[in-house]
Amino acid sequence: MTDSLFSKGVTEALNFSAVEHLCIGEPDWLRERREHAWALYEQTPMPTTKLEEWRYTDLRKKLQLDTLSLSQATVVPDNPTAWPKPLRKAMKEDRQASGHIVVIDGHVVHSDLEAELIAKGVILSSLHDAIEQHPNLVGNCLATEAVPPEEGKFAALNAALWSDGVFLYVPAEVQLNTPIRVTRWLSEAGVAQFGRVLILAENASRISYVDEILSDDFSEQTFASNAVEIIAKERAQVQYVSVQRLGRGAFYQSVQRTLAHGDATLDTLNVALGASVSRVDLNARLLGEGANSDMLGLYFGDEDQHFDFNTSQDHVSPHTASDLLYKGALDASSRAVFRGIIRVKPTAQRTNAYQTNRNLLLSGNARADSLPNLEIEADDVKCSHGATVGELDPDAKFYLMSRGLSRIQAERLVVLGFLGEVLSKLPLGGVVEKVTRVIEEKLSQH
Amino acid sequence: MPRNETVQDLQLDEYKYDFVTDAEPVYRARKGLSEEVVREISAYKEEPEWMLNSRLKALQVYESKPMPTWGGNLSELDAVLDEIYFYVRPQDRMEHSWEDVPEEIKDTFEKLGIPEAERKVLAGVGAQYESEMVYHSLREEWEKQGVIFDSIEDGLKNHPDLFREYFGTVIPTQDNKFAAMNAAVWSGGSFVYIPPGVHLDTPLQAYFRVNQERMGQFERTLIICDEGASAHYIEGCTAPVYSTESFHSGVIEIVVKKNARFRYTTIQNWSNNMYNLVTQRALVHEGANMEWLDGNLGSKLTMKYPSCYLVGEGAHGEILSVAYSGDGQHQDTGGKVIHAAPHTTSSIISKSISKGHGRSTYRGLCKVHEGAHHARSNVECDALLINNTSRTDTYPYIEIEENDANVGHEASVSKIGEEQLFYLTSRGISEEEAMAMIVRGFIEPIAKELPLEYAVELNRLIELEMEGSVG
Repeated sequence: MTDSLFSKGVTEALNFSAVEHLCIGEPDWLRERREHAWALYEQTPMPTTKLEEWRYTDLRKKLQLDTLSLSQATVVPDNPTAWPKPLRKAMKEDRQASGHIVVIDGHVVHSDLEAELIAKGVILSSLHDAIEQHPNLVGNCLATEAVPPEEGKFAALNAALWSDGVFLYVPAEVQLNTPIRVTRWLSEAGVAQFGRVLILAENASRISYVDEILSDDFSEQTFASNAVEIIAKERAQVQYVSVQRLGRGAFYQSVQRTLAHGDATLDTLNVALGASVSRVDLNARLLGEGANSDMLGLYFGDEDQHFDFNTSQDHVSPHTASDLLYKGALDASSRAVFRGIIRVKPTAQRTNAYQTNRNLLLSGNARADSLPNLEIEADDVKCSHGATVGELDPDAKFYLMSRGLSRIQAERLVVLGFLGEVLSKLPLGGVVEKVTRVIEEKLSQH
Repeated sequence: MPRNETVQDLQLDEYKYDFVTDAEPVYRARKGLSEEVVREISAYKEEPEWMLNSRLKALQVYESKPMPTWGGNLSELDAVLDEIYFYVRPQDRMEHSWEDVPEEIKDTFEKLGIPEAERKVLAGVGAQYESEMVYHSLREEWEKQGVIFDSIEDGLKNHPDLFREYFGTVIPTQDNKFAAMNAAVWSGGSFVYIPPGVHLDTPLQAYFRVNQERMGQFERTLIICDEGASAHYIEGCTAPVYSTESFHSGVIEIVVKKNARFRYTTIQNWSNNMYNLVTQRALVHEGANMEWLDGNLGSKLTMKYPSCYLVGEGAHGEILSVAYSGDGQHQDTGGKVIHAAPHTTSSIISKSISKGHGRSTYRGLCKVHEGAHHARSNVECDALLINNTSRTDTYPYIEIEENDANVGHEASVSKIGEEQLFYLTSRGISEEEAMAMIVRGFIEPIAKELPLEYAVELNRLIELEMEGSVG
């Protein structure tokens, strides 16, 4: 592979004819968007560590885009007995839900939604179905407002090559009492997989959305890309949870943007447990007066896992609030990067914005880099940020051991307590137990 | 300031260092930077061959490095540098007696109050005017104990071995574009050596003055604080206000040996047309202690991040930074601590005040290398915004490669509390005075670390700058 080829992003499989192939049967507006995105992808150089946002994740070492092929998987029947066991197991652990989507190797194979909600006008479907059945709703928002291809190299690549995804629409005043649960399974090794999510919450609606992506370990590098667009209109309440449990060998890359209009509440939780490399770009925009966003993150690294979170909190309107808490534990030679920025525009007076990143290093070879940034252009604000990197609290450990716990038990308890703070802030049924269990499994390897 | 005295009574000008002295330089190099200028500087200084070669190599490094795109706005700097005089020689030799300094130059420093301060509280004084040190003196008692406090040029001439052993070892030419520029054209600055076990109980001071328009000042300071010694060095900077930009790029290298203590204080009050791009770094050995006290009040753009490289076990580094940015000013300052040995500790405290269209940026690095177990570091940044047009940024970098370390960073941004203002005004204090009181309280943790004269001066400046900020 030569430098010039790489910088253009021309690879054997991810190329313009792949884009053209995807366009077959799609409406013209979508073809234009895909072609435009591809053109931008080709124009945008591959990010290097010289770019501030990619300072600690060297794509030249971590990602071999040119060796990847596009997914060739065929559609699996909508029949749970035909689905892989880990996928069924993950779904069984989920408690109540208002609706489900199951995605296997990029294809939406199953979708259900409570009849009562369908009657109220809620839409939960694959993106392809939504484009056919609700072209205007989707057409206005897909890769335009929230994650346009202009966003960056990976956003452009995703906008050009996404194979399918999820569309969720909640009409005004409709409130869902239980979450929408999306479970995505990957089985093909050595491929690139592109998914998208578009969530539209109208005025005063309420939803929570839980996305779980999982796989076995891969023998070759596998690239899973996701673009998440969430729009919360006035007074809407949206919770978005992403749990990433991919196997080793996976490079997970997710671009997320949340747009919160007046008095909307838009909370997110990103849990990173799996994959060899995970990169999440999350941008929360507080667009309307009184908008609020809580941004939570949790990660546990072992072996040589590499997690990179790049977050931003953009305050544009007055009386907006955002509160970010990302916590992680790192064992063996794993590594975490947190780069967050709070931007308060001159128009966003009376803003409260907070940002905290805390890291626990469980091994001498683990590494944490933390860059909590502030750019404040309004004076009547309350902003603060904090970051810590440290070892297990010896006092807490000593206390527990003095109560009869073994050193290992005490350490596990301290780590669980440290990470549990994040989960307790967004205690969705099913998520807490599942994540806690995976962390316990990881801790037993410590 | 007495309680009832108002700002006006102090009769301070907007910028009281805005006066020009009519002193003809004895030599001035051509505008801009070129090999010819570098050779001329070296020839004037009668330098050994190795120094000339080192300068010429540095010039190549400077030219090969791109202009930084981070930090402040440097987009116009290339054009500014083309118009700058890189070397201006104010007089033919440096004086050791104040009486012998030419009248016009003496006048400048008299106005700045330097000789008076020397008599009162200082162990030694150096004064730089344009490109050269014009005066250096050290009290006899310290000279007898083997302390060296001289211009950097005399350091090279009189102590060539000591000079060569350390010069460029703390900040290599390749470090950054402006360190390379300085290594090519440096002129002036101090050479300081404190012998083992000597404790200087009063500070050494160097005063830097740029008088001429379109002047570039490139002082280079090398300080070696030997085992178990202690000293305090103070640097002050001013320049008149011209309509064209001036440029200052210093390099300060400090070696703090085993169990020594060193404090370096800067009160930078350049005029608001000055680009101030400075590299300051200390190598801190076993059990030693280094403190940077960095006050940035003047200049158009300052980019300066004093650093402590903690290379010996138990070394301690401290950076106290206070910045004030008024209209048209950008203070991009902070500090760096690198923990490269076990049981090292550090602390960075940064306070900034942004007023009008001013912008204050904290930029810092805390790095713990693998093996630097039991490292402890704490960083605190507080920013105060006075107007709704002011801006503040915080960019801390935390890089930890060792699990047995504890590192914390905290920052907060606020405006002057309405409750605080209300309380003070309800006690009969005018709003303007109340504002100044609150700001003084805000920077107090740093002001109290300054020698008295500087603390008073800092408070006066804050008072002055806060004038008219109400509403």
